[in-house]
Amino acid sequence: MKFRKDAVANPEPDATREEVREMAEALSLYRSAMHHIAEREAARPFAVEQRPARAIGFRLLLAPVLTAAFAAGVFVPLYGHFHHHAVPAPHTLASSNTADTGSAVDDTALMNQIDSEVSEDVPDALRPLADLNDQATTTTAVSEKDDVTQE
Amino acid sequence: MLAGGPGAGNELAIEKREQAMLELADFDEVVRVYRPRILRFLLSSLTDRDAAESLTQECFLKAWSARHQFRGDSSLSTWLTRIAVNLMRDHLRSRSLRFWQKTRGVALDVMDISDWVPDGRSSPESLTLARERVATVWKAVKELSTHQRTVFVLRFVEEMELDEIATTIGMNLSTVKSHLYRALAIIRERMGETK
Repeated sequence: MKFRKDAVANPEPDATREEVREMAEALSLYRSAMHHIAEREAARPFAVEQRPARAIGFRLLLAPVLTAAFAAGVFVPLYGHFHHHAVPAPHTLASSNTADTGSAVDDTALMNQIDSEVSEDVPDALRPLADLNDQATTTTAVSEKDDVTQE
Repeated sequence: MLAGGPGAGNELAIEKREQAMLELADFDEVVRVYRPRILRFLLSSLTDRDAAESLTQECFLKAWSARHQFRGDSSLSTWLTRIAVNLMRDHLRSRSLRFWQKTRGVALDVMDISDWVPDGRSSPESLTLARERVATVWKAVKELSTHQRTVFVLRFVEEMELDEIATTIGMNLSTVKSHLYRALAIIRERMGETK
């Protein structure tokens, strides 16, 4: 047995010889087992290359997943945010343009209609009234001029 | 000059140093001779095959890079073990920071250890008892602190003298003894629990 007595640091006084012997044997067995395992591992070729390869593989797998998760987490809400606000804007603009155009058309039509109606010839039956109106307007205008002159 | 006097001691030291330097010159031979020992120490301390192999390779890489700094004050074995201890400390420190990678290593299983018991067991009962004892020590060693485990492994697996351990890990002899005493107390306690 390779175990040395000085290795067990100061066993307590109440420790029996049997207990110390068992511990020494257990430590010896443990040493033998570790030597055996290490010899077996040392006989295997270095597996160091496997570690970076696995790490790279893991990163290659992890990187796209994290990128996709990041993109989903950031760009989707951003897209949704801008899409939500951006879509109505052209619609509003378009609708306001349409409304402006429509109102412009309506106004033009209305003005044309008014012009045409105003410029319509007074029916013959109403001509005397039209003349009276003209005269009244003229008289009023003249009387107003007179008032101004007198003043 | 009388043999055994100060001059003889000095000559012996010079001779040892020259021998160590000569040994270091053939680095392939150094790796062949010392790799099993360094791997065994790291495997016993870390219980992680990948980490032990990786650090063993790194240990020899560092030794190769620093071979011109080796003055032969200590044996080549002690020098290499010191490099391995430092690498292990760095590894454990960085692993504690990268806590999510703790489970990624290829850990040695207790069955790997306890399945192997030297031949010569007289009966199945004694074989079972021996396996149980190895498993108990294995589990108890895993419970030790880093310093306790390092000292324990260097003493009981690598069979280094206490003053050599102190030199290797840069501790006082009394501190080394203290760590060893505590480590053994824990192992003894665990062995008592299993009875």
